[in-house]
Amino acid sequence: MGLALRELRRRPSRFTVATIVLTFLSLLLLLLGGLLDGLFLGSTGAIRSQPADVIVYSSNARDSFLRSRIDDTIRATVEGVDGVDSVGGVGVLLLGADPTRGGDTVNVAVIGYEQAADGVPAPPAPGTAWADDSLRDQGVHTGDTLLVGPARTPIEVVGFVADTNFLQQSGLWVDLPTWRAAQNANRPDSFVTDDVVQVLAVRGSGDLVAAIDAATGGATSTLTKDEAVYALPGVTEQESTFNAIIYSTLLVVLAVVGLFFSLLTLERTALYGVLKAIGASTRRLFAGVVAQAVVVAVIAFVVGSLLAIAAGAALPADVPLQLTVGRFLFTFVALVIAAVLGSAISLRRVTRIDPASAIGSAS
Amino acid sequence: MAPDWHPVRLACDAEGVFLAVKEIRRAKTRFGLLAGAVGLLVYLILFQQALLGGLVEQFIGAVKHQSADVLVFNDQARKNLEGSIIFPEQLEAVGQVDGVDTAAPLGQDTFTVNADGVETDAAVFGYVLGGPGEPTTVTSGRLPSGPFEAVASSRNAADGFDIGDVVEVVPAPGTDPVSFNVVGLAREINYSVSPTLFTDFDSFVAAKRVVNPDAPAVLASVVAVKVAAGASAAGVADAITATVEGTEALTRQAAVDEAPGVSAVRSSFSVILLLFYLVVPLVTGLFFLIVTFQKAGALTLLRAIGSPAGPLVRALLVQVLAVVVVGGLIATLLFWLTSGATNSLGVTVQARPVLLTVGVVLVLAMLTSLAAVRRVLRIDPIAATTGAGVQV
Repeated sequence: MGLALRELRRRPSRFTVATIVLTFLSLLLLLLGGLLDGLFLGSTGAIRSQPADVIVYSSNARDSFLRSRIDDTIRATVEGVDGVDSVGGVGVLLLGADPTRGGDTVNVAVIGYEQAADGVPAPPAPGTAWADDSLRDQGVHTGDTLLVGPARTPIEVVGFVADTNFLQQSGLWVDLPTWRAAQNANRPDSFVTDDVVQVLAVRGSGDLVAAIDAATGGATSTLTKDEAVYALPGVTEQESTFNAIIYSTLLVVLAVVGLFFSLLTLERTALYGVLKAIGASTRRLFAGVVAQAVVVAVIAFVVGSLLAIAAGAALPADVPLQLTVGRFLFTFVALVIAAVLGSAISLRRVTRIDPASAIGSAS
Repeated sequence: MAPDWHPVRLACDAEGVFLAVKEIRRAKTRFGLLAGAVGLLVYLILFQQALLGGLVEQFIGAVKHQSADVLVFNDQARKNLEGSIIFPEQLEAVGQVDGVDTAAPLGQDTFTVNADGVETDAAVFGYVLGGPGEPTTVTSGRLPSGPFEAVASSRNAADGFDIGDVVEVVPAPGTDPVSFNVVGLAREINYSVSPTLFTDFDSFVAAKRVVNPDAPAVLASVVAVKVAAGASAAGVADAITATVEGTEALTRQAAVDEAPGVSAVRSSFSVILLLFYLVVPLVTGLFFLIVTFQKAGALTLLRAIGSPAGPLVRALLVQVLAVVVVGGLIATLLFWLTSGATNSLGVTVQARPVLLTVGVVLVLAMLTSLAAVRRVLRIDPIAATTGAGVQV
């Protein structure tokens, strides 16, 4: 292995092109993963934050927050179901908003809620909101007032919360009366009365999904929180499409590493013959190939990561790229595994080298 | 019998091809891996290009293929149809702007509908019959001529949206449903990847009321504008934005290009596709450069016994061509196999983009292989007599 690493140090140019190709592939993997994470996290934060085991929709809404309507009668029925510990109403309204201090119009999801959510304190006073950090990135500060929607409904920001967006719009968490006022002023065609919320966030134990839908006589459609996340439009399709592209790209990494190192091994056949003749084991020689592949993959990952971070800073703000620690870890591990597997393609050739070939011929 | 590399045989073009093919046959694993990698990469390019085109078309096709020259949004909607409402006074004011021939309400919302006994989502557009906002790509049947008639997206015809089908809007509890009779089909009019119906504005309002019986008013989402003869759509759009408070007017094309998500999807995919287009020729170029290095000894010997450089270069280029063509075939096969599963996203196999992509990849691969060609051309036959470059 020492010999292999020495070769890397002394003849780095031999590995340059392979490293460049793997760097591009690692950049691709990070950008693809970053887009997937950005789309997922930016769409689902408001649901993931809910202090709930299940989310209850009206059955005619096809599990859409915006189309669901739950009134007091249904709510009382849900509250009476065995195993239900707590019930909180939630409503969401997607609008544009203008900061009174000036600046561009921002996209907001006005989220009315009753129960403190994960990372979101109890509802603020009427007319005020906890804003998602993404609004701070767009120049909104604590104490700013946002004029929401065509009706210019004023909502004052009193603090910030993290990872709470809904369908790529920045979360603006308000109490239910403020949400209703904004909804009715800005979307009179989707008017809600004082006893109506869009969905219920329910915490409890047992088979809540079946129990709630049975108790309401089919007037509700209840999903677990995870199911509710994937019921959002496009989330499942985005994830499956991006993952298919990511795993196909990993196959390409495997093929590129395999190709490169099988060519290198071919070139070194004579050298390996000599090394075997003087006692080097196949295992040792192969470990050297694997070590080189791993080093190349690690260098490619590091450079690719730096390029991905630079790309993240350079891309327009509307590109939902989000580079997470988890994505870097996944890409690193996947690249190293692909490099090891790819280099293993050379194993057969290394094994078949006959030490006797070193005697009388070096080619 | 003369050996494969005999200089006489190499002297003509056919022998260059012969040498290339012979080498590929003797190193199937190496060339197979390369063709596989190129095939996968070209497949990913084809798939993502088709996905991008399909997604954009399916997300915003309804806006692209309707007749209004200009669409006027509420300026708070940030060009999002679903976030826009137009107040009656804004609608009236738009009609007064110079260059506007007709200004009519255009409504849009997504409903839960019952089609062919199955509940599904459907986007419904309501326009004033005969006015701007009607679908322009009717392929069969006719446009609506009365209440509760609709043109449906042809992509969803088999799902209960065919001519003669009745699509029922699922009402709020205690409200009677309304139904749309499909009288025509239009291509590429989907919105948000959902089945889409174009009906008259009053029928759209009726549908809104059965799902929101408490609604005090149902407003238009945008104003559909037909510009006067001789007026420019862009100029009229600018004039509307400048004079009608709280509005943002866009030409039809701008409304498509600047729709939320579309520009983000386009720029994201462009970066990714660019990287893929860079990786394919790099992989190919890398492979042939290394192979040429490895063959340096044999190539020097061939030059020394009289083989001109031409056939050797041609052999290399024939191998590049073979690898890209085989890779292209693998990619097309994979693309064809997977397009069925992603047809709902508008991913379809079309000969022209496939040929164009393979052609671009071939040109790029040839360009990066020039490094290997340069290496072949720089071989000095005299080196064979000194031992340099020849492994003994």
